[in-house]
Amino acid sequence: MTIGADQVRHIARLAEIAVADDELPVLAKQLDRIVGYVAQLDRLPADEDAAPFNAGPESLRLRADQVNPWPMIGGPMAMAPESADGFFLVPRRGTGAEA
Amino acid sequence: MTSVARIAERVRNGGETAGAVASRTAAALEDSTGLNATLHWSRELLHRRAGEITERVSAGEQLPLAGVPVALKDNIVSTDEPTTCASRMLVDYVSPYEATAVTRLREAGALLAGKANLDEFAMGSSTEHSAFGRVRHPLDPERVPGGSSGGSAALVAAGVVPAALGSETGGSVRQPASFCGVVGVKPTYGRVSRYGLVAFGSSLDCISSFGRTVDDAARVLAVISGPDPFDSTTVDRPPIAPPEPPRDLRGITIGLPREYFPDDLDPGVRAGTDRTIAALKELGAELRQVSLPHTALAVPTYYIIAPAEAAANLARYDGVRYGQRRIGPNGDIRALYQATRGEGFGAEVRRRILVGTYVLSAGYAAQYYAKAQRARALIAADFAAVFAGGVDLLFTPTTPTPAFRAGEKTDDPVAMYLADIFVSPASLAGLPAMSLPIGRSDGLPIGGQLIAPMFHDEQMLAAAAVLERAVPAVEEVR
Repeated sequence: MTIGADQVRHIARLAEIAVADDELPVLAKQLDRIVGYVAQLDRLPADEDAAPFNAGPESLRLRADQVNPWPMIGGPMAMAPESADGFFLVPRRGTGAEA
Repeated sequence: MTSVARIAERVRNGGETAGAVASRTAAALEDSTGLNATLHWSRELLHRRAGEITERVSAGEQLPLAGVPVALKDNIVSTDEPTTCASRMLVDYVSPYEATAVTRLREAGALLAGKANLDEFAMGSSTEHSAFGRVRHPLDPERVPGGSSGGSAALVAAGVVPAALGSETGGSVRQPASFCGVVGVKPTYGRVSRYGLVAFGSSLDCISSFGRTVDDAARVLAVISGPDPFDSTTVDRPPIAPPEPPRDLRGITIGLPREYFPDDLDPGVRAGTDRTIAALKELGAELRQVSLPHTALAVPTYYIIAPAEAAANLARYDGVRYGQRRIGPNGDIRALYQATRGEGFGAEVRRRILVGTYVLSAGYAAQYYAKAQRARALIAADFAAVFAGGVDLLFTPTTPTPAFRAGEKTDDPVAMYLADIFVSPASLAGLPAMSLPIGRSDGLPIGGQLIAPMFHDEQMLAAAAVLERAVPAVEEVR
């Protein structure tokens, strides 16, 4: 298995991470090394199995379906990088015009 | 450094004020600047917090951690200072809510001392991957303190604070505890709330504690553990009680898994573990050679599962929900996401998100992720079988070598990952595990690891406290 520059570009697009063209060869080499290393799980015999492992309590507890005050130091607008009239401002999707 | 119990007792009975502790801690934090172990602290905040503790002590509150300085790894959210995860992505981010562990520390009277440096988003084994510079090992500035909770470990080792919180996903507290010569305890998954711990690998993440001694680390765990309505993965069990160590280890069977003692184990580490095994025998423990046959699969399994979970968890840093927003070249929303994430994440975080995205992508998920889940089940089953066979605890080295030099492993991510070879299996199995100092080799600390069955945190801590009395933590082993 070899990961090449095109594959890194494809993964980076799926992950929504900008990667400059000149970074592609180094990233491809590093990802190839990592993926090549973890691929040793291929040696796991198909007939070796154990009960699936689940982290945490076997049955997750449910909490009452009610609205409670949330211990926050400010409202959601206080966290927004930009807001106006009670709305979060983000760039317009599509044509390139900014919000 | 005074113990956690002694500081709390003195502050409660008026032998020392929380304000005096705050002044001492501020001076120590200032002196430790060269370690680069702290990302945020302020004299003013320390004294404000100390004032609140003093008022409560005066009102007669019996605070279990009265005035005890505790540093927080900077991926645990607190409300009156930034939480950056050592990332450019979260520079100046202040959380609107507080982690349950932090609330519980405050309620117990602890003096929150500051935010400790870490590998960005807790991804790393050396604390070299911080956007704010690497943390130095307190005994040798050319070496790393381990990671990802390297700032917390270094602060405790340097005597700046008696205890600190770190977080574990695959050994990020035990490994730096071993490198720095302090105690690091990872509880059973689900015994400490993850609410307010910035998510990395949700099926693995555990807030964990550091102390100079077993008792110090355990007293912090006692306060922060227990069920939490804000985290549905916490288990419905009482908080972890501080240990009451017996006189010896008679009646305890300790397993020595052969996979953790390979031929190429560092000679100093081997000498340290040999001496500790002799001490265990001397203390009356029954020793038994055991095998955990799937141990070698742990690191590759971890480096599929953790990046896969990280790729999902870190999707929220997109410049809209979280993160320093960057406007991309086209000005549209996807360009914004990509620019924000491309510029905001450091090299290791970016690598792990890409690996996680790859192993989950169409055509590859069965080959990698499904296989890793199966390997994880086999690793957990190995432990379960050994414990069902009458073994109470496992003893192993915590790391294959003492602290390595800065830069030694940064060019090869896999070499760095292998520093966690002895700590990642217990994380994958959700088991309680801890590291305690068992001596030094050429002046560098060596750690011994105890691993216990699920929910046997108290028994593990009690045995560790017995062992701690018998093994000289700072003596050369060869």
